[in-house]
Amino acid sequence: MEEIRIGVYICWCGSNIAQLIDVKFIAGEIKKLENVIISRDYKYMCSDPGQETLIADIKQNKLNRIVVAACSPRIHEPTFRKALEKAGLNPYMFQMANIREQDSWVHIDKEYATLKAVALVKAAVSRVKHHEPLNKKSVEVNSATMVIGGGITGLTSALEIAQAGKQVYLIEKSDSLGGITAKIDLTYPDLKSAGQMIRPKISQVQNHNLIEVFLNTILEDISGYVGNFSTKVRRNGTSEEITFGNIIVATGLKPFSPVTIPEYKYKVLPDVITSIELEKMLQDGTVKTSDGSKPDNIAIIHCVGSRNEQYHPYCSRTCCSTALKYANQLRSLLPDAHLFDIYADMRAYGKGCEEFYTNTSNKNIMFLMYDQKNGLPEIRKANSSDNAGMIITFSEKLSGENIEVPVDLVILMTAVEAHEDAKEVARLTGISLCGNDFYIEKHPKLDPVATTTDGVYIAGTCQGPKGIDESIVQAKAAAAKVLSMIAMGSIEIEVAVSHVNEEVCCGCQTCIMVCPYKAISFDEEKNVSVVNEALCKGCGTCGSTCPTGAIKSLHFTDIQILSQIEGLLKTESETI
Amino acid sequence: MEKEKPKLNLAVYWGAACGGCCVSVLDVHEKLFDVVANANLVFWPIALDTKYSDVEAMPDGFIDVTLYNGAIRNSENEHIAKLLRQKTKVMVAYGSCAHLGGIPGLANFHTGKEIFERVYVSSESTVNKEKIYPQTSYKIPEGELTLPEFYNDVRTLGQVVDVDYYLPGCPPQTERLLEVFMAIVKKEELPPNGSVIGATDKGQCDECPRKRSDNKKIKQFKRPVEVIDDGETCFLEQGLICMGPATRCGCGYRCIEGNSPCRGCYGPPPGSPDPGSKMMSAIGTMVGSDDPEEIAKIVEQIEDPAGTFYRFSLPAAILRRKLIETTVS
Repeated sequence: MEEIRIGVYICWCGSNIAQLIDVKFIAGEIKKLENVIISRDYKYMCSDPGQETLIADIKQNKLNRIVVAACSPRIHEPTFRKALEKAGLNPYMFQMANIREQDSWVHIDKEYATLKAVALVKAAVSRVKHHEPLNKKSVEVNSATMVIGGGITGLTSALEIAQAGKQVYLIEKSDSLGGITAKIDLTYPDLKSAGQMIRPKISQVQNHNLIEVFLNTILEDISGYVGNFSTKVRRNGTSEEITFGNIIVATGLKPFSPVTIPEYKYKVLPDVITSIELEKMLQDGTVKTSDGSKPDNIAIIHCVGSRNEQYHPYCSRTCCSTALKYANQLRSLLPDAHLFDIYADMRAYGKGCEEFYTNTSNKNIMFLMYDQKNGLPEIRKANSSDNAGMIITFSEKLSGENIEVPVDLVILMTAVEAHEDAKEVARLTGISLCGNDFYIEKHPKLDPVATTTDGVYIAGTCQGPKGIDESIVQAKAAAAKVLSMIAMGSIEIEVAVSHVNEEVCCGCQTCIMVCPYKAISFDEEKNVSVVNEALCKGCGTCGSTCPTGAIKSLHFTDIQILSQIEGLLKTESETI
Repeated sequence: MEKEKPKLNLAVYWGAACGGCCVSVLDVHEKLFDVVANANLVFWPIALDTKYSDVEAMPDGFIDVTLYNGAIRNSENEHIAKLLRQKTKVMVAYGSCAHLGGIPGLANFHTGKEIFERVYVSSESTVNKEKIYPQTSYKIPEGELTLPEFYNDVRTLGQVVDVDYYLPGCPPQTERLLEVFMAIVKKEELPPNGSVIGATDKGQCDECPRKRSDNKKIKQFKRPVEVIDDGETCFLEQGLICMGPATRCGCGYRCIEGNSPCRGCYGPPPGSPDPGSKMMSAIGTMVGSDDPEEIAKIVEQIEDPAGTFYRFSLPAAILRRKLIETTVS
């Protein structure tokens, strides 16, 4: 076996690491370890000169293992792996010790932080001795894309991709395209027709020769991996299979039903309606009470089911501006009506929306504030002596008084929530849900439309409540991600995957049901499990489940992890 | 007179053991004559009255093969293991206890002090108000009486001396012993030192005659007495804990053929340093529920999980023993 020659580099990260951790001391301690040929400290290892030092050392000193103690591997592991490649070393002969996020940033005692850093670096040195070279693999990308959801987001993504000349399969579970946007009258803050915006998009999609629309369609199963997915879709009782390379999930959301909020008596009092029910009236051009008369007093109540631990803890984001839109539309339709806007906080965020609020507040609308902490406004049927159909009672926050508002029509600005089948779509596509059942992006800031499953993107309100403008930004971002993937033609796939040692595997099949990526199958003839390396993400679940120890998670083998632990613990007994 | 070909010198010794391994040597039945034709039994306390002083008097390397069975529990076990190592060319860890610690190894879930307290004071059949414990040395007018020191840890033979071969099993399959012995007699090519012999690298499921699927959903863990076994379905799928997936083949499916789940005596396949945690991980995936409370209830049905999953392997596993609490001054 070739001699193990390790180079260790302790990064200062400017002052981020060096001001708390004695980097020179660590470099000295590590130099004493067996197989460590070079141990240096440097101000910025990730900089060009830092990487060049590393490359030169590898070449001059025949180093075959590298440890860099610096920031999180999430940030610079790819950087250093590339540097190893440049120097002619396999990029997996590398281990990072995180002495910034896991040490200098979270401790205050210099001595102990330094000892901890020594332990972390010793662990990395101990581990890297057992690293094995892994070779890159690539697969071709199928240039078709499946878009799930035919709302404004899905339509936009589909058009972007088709207009670039690539095939799209657009899957919609209902019998029509357009989603929630097709159900609303005007958009905010510009008060333009939503219908005029979405109808041309729908017809463009329907007439595009590269877009195949599947209405009344549900997904039965998705298999495959980035670049090579296939699915079974079922429509009109028949099942068919389509293949594609990428998936955009744009399944949107749905309005919350306020029947569960007792204070609002929705479905009990006929003139308490939801925002989406008002949209229907506005689209039809008349706003009437249940007995067909013109309402003299109308209240709009905000935060119905939003920002309330009992219902949904989050802000539904679009309802404040939508409420202002209603105030404007109602003022135009019913110039003499009394309009009350009962809000908890006015969150008219976004371009032009604060100005929209200012304009609206000049239109003879009574803005009243309530505080959810002091209870919700309560709606009751009025007495015959009252001059209105209903009375809303609540504690008005700004005046500090308990007030009663007489109303004939109440509009509830209902929260929005994830679809009931969001979980099922997540399971099929291999994406994760947050606590509120919205989909989780790969990184909230740096990678907002990708997911942890390669080749699966999320866009629009299935990721969280947002307006049309923001949904379209995401729709186009997701389309751009897909198009860049198609343009690459082939992609490198994870090589730190699971490997079955057929000499040891006894065919108990425990691994098959735990694999979240359906990457393991059973070879009846050989009586062993087989990993499809293109599907495997190297999560390690099968490796830790395998009772015989036949499955090795490459780059996370037992010996690598155990020696890392050993390196960590040895330090403790020696130095503390 | 016909010139006899030189015989091998063979020793069989027991450390912390039940005696079953020594008896299993006799299970070769009439083949014992083949053994005796080829070997002098120079030390075998269960059958021969050889003294320790006789062993001490042997020149180093005098014994060709020692079958050491039993774990290392006290200072006597350790002393004799080291003595035999010195006198032996091929040291074989014979049986589960010498190989992995075996049943005596489960004592590592207690400290030496706890075991003495239980055995000599608190057990239901004991009256020891003065709390008198055995001492390693006791002076009487006639001189000093000694007992071996009882250690905190049970260790495997391999943790105390260099072992040439491990022959697993509780007890090892007799046919395997004969094969190994005859291989040594015939000077056949032997596997590299430190190897496990008389067993394969595959888990028990490999040739298990029972039917199994990839869909094990256990709603209730049962003990064998609670199940009317259909004689053909995978034990795990019937809710019985079977160590088969985490255990090497080589035993000839003695338990399974007898309609009893595998207990794990042959130890883990290579590259599996902690069979107990491996088996628990696997069992965890078979629990047939997604509800945390129901899962807890189902898992609670497993009787003596530590003793079940580490039945033969505790001292050799990464877990090794119960944590000994020490106070740092």
